[in-house]
Amino acid sequence: MRVLLLFLRKELKAIRTDSRVWPVYLVFPVLAIGLPTFVATLSPLLIRQGMARQDAGMLQVAQLIRMMPDFAALTPEEGMTRYVLRSVAALFLLMPVALSSTSAAFSIVGEKQQRTLEPILATPITDRQFLLGKLIAAAAPTVAMTWVTALVTIAVVDIATSGRYATALLPDRFWALGILALAPLLATAVVLVTMRFSAKATDPQATVQATALAIIPGFLILIAVFGKLLTTYFTALGIACLVMALIDVVLFRGNTRTFRREEILTRWK
Amino acid sequence: MISAHGLSRSFDGRPAVEALTFHVPEGKLFALLGPNGAGKTTTVRMLLGLIGPTSGSATVAGHAIGADARASRAVRAACGLLTEAPGFYDRLSGWDNLVFFGSLYDMPDAVVRTRVTHYLRLMDLWDRRDEPVGGYSKGMKQRLAIIRALFHDPKVVFFDEPTSGLDPEAALAVRDLIVKLKDEGRTIVVCTHNLDEAERLADLVGILKRRLLVCDTLERLRAGAGDGARVHVAVRAGAAEHAQRLQGQPFAPHVDVTGETLRVTVGDAATDTPRVVAALVQGGAEILEVRPETPSLESIYLHTLRGDH
Repeated sequence: MRVLLLFLRKELKAIRTDSRVWPVYLVFPVLAIGLPTFVATLSPLLIRQGMARQDAGMLQVAQLIRMMPDFAALTPEEGMTRYVLRSVAALFLLMPVALSSTSAAFSIVGEKQQRTLEPILATPITDRQFLLGKLIAAAAPTVAMTWVTALVTIAVVDIATSGRYATALLPDRFWALGILALAPLLATAVVLVTMRFSAKATDPQATVQATALAIIPGFLILIAVFGKLLTTYFTALGIACLVMALIDVVLFRGNTRTFRREEILTRWK
Repeated sequence: MISAHGLSRSFDGRPAVEALTFHVPEGKLFALLGPNGAGKTTTVRMLLGLIGPTSGSATVAGHAIGADARASRAVRAACGLLTEAPGFYDRLSGWDNLVFFGSLYDMPDAVVRTRVTHYLRLMDLWDRRDEPVGGYSKGMKQRLAIIRALFHDPKVVFFDEPTSGLDPEAALAVRDLIVKLKDEGRTIVVCTHNLDEAERLADLVGILKRRLLVCDTLERLRAGAGDGARVHVAVRAGAAEHAQRLQGQPFAPHVDVTGETLRVTVGDAATDTPRVVAALVQGGAEILEVRPETPSLESIYLHTLRGDH
């Protein structure tokens, strides 16, 4: 366990001392705090205006939301606000996915590029320890940042809407499961896929671009397809977590099996 | 400490090294010489268990390489490696880099810190320990890499071009350290193009060009170079006549004369030189200087490689 945390400690030190990384790490939290706060504070007003205008789209959405058991007993204004807020949780899934994929892209090819891979592989560390250490180093900081950002968001939203509803808007149980479980599981999957690219690649920048092109659109498509299901049925969200956990296990085993020290050392120039 | 038997490695069917057989006893320094692409790095990687052999076997520090994952880990734990172009995390300090790599050897934190402190002081890097490695000079990085190869107290140390790119003072310091490590009883393998360095440091010399062309002590390689050892004898006068008298003696099969100096080819310098001197004195020669001519490692190296066509 100590060896695994070494990579994390090193990664955290590297992040702390790299001023180029900080802006990237700040954009998402700012967005993730700002958007739900905006939704929570301004959407009731917009919903009220839309309903007053008898806006057809708004009425249709209100009708759909009223059919959802969680919101059936609420006013259209509160129900819609809570639903939109729940949907915005997707940002907290995207945050670890996007940030950790960049870190994972550098995980192996970056070591090779700075000529630290051979000294690492010359130590008694096993392939499994190395890959697990790299996985934790890439995923843990972004997951931790996601959780902290979520906590701040919950506090800000609840303070901003204090006294407006019978119960606080957040945390929503979908948020809790999505952010605590699905976000790290998704991040893990993305890191494992990216590490597979990274182990075969010769150029970190190309890996970053390739993964950005593949992962972010892929994530958005998944959200578009399964978003409604995952924000409506708590069981579906639970099943999604289990499926992701299974995918992570399969991916990690695959990475361990296909990790070729020899190939990495001898084929890369 | 290191024994290789028929060790071979091919990449995509193309042999990188073939049938390496050698033995390096404990506490000896083995200089592995050879041109670029001769297979030196491949050999070191095989001996460290980083890559497996295609055929053959080797034991390093009592562990059979490539036997299984556990044996490979044991080999790596018992060995230190200085790569030709050592890399570090440039944004981290020298201290953080060393603690990171030291901890990968699964040593207790306190031991890692004590050893890192000891070696940073020894290598004159203590005052710069908190600075990012990116700001270090090449010599400082090389010293840091040497610490990385040593602080887990390995029995066997592999140095790939240890003084490459260093200024003479830094190179001398590294050579002194290597001698010190040998004196401590460690077994050392040095891959180098620097023949002068190999000549100064090595107990055993191997010349590799895909195959191990020669592997022996420097003395034996010298004795086996060319047609035998040579002795220079400077006399006060009459070198030509003295040469004639020596010619034909069984211990001096060939004699050249340049001015008042005789260049005598002998079978074995240790036993035949006194005979040459005695014969000359008996013939009335006034000897000013007797000097054995030892072939340099460079001449042995070039002679060996040229003979491998």
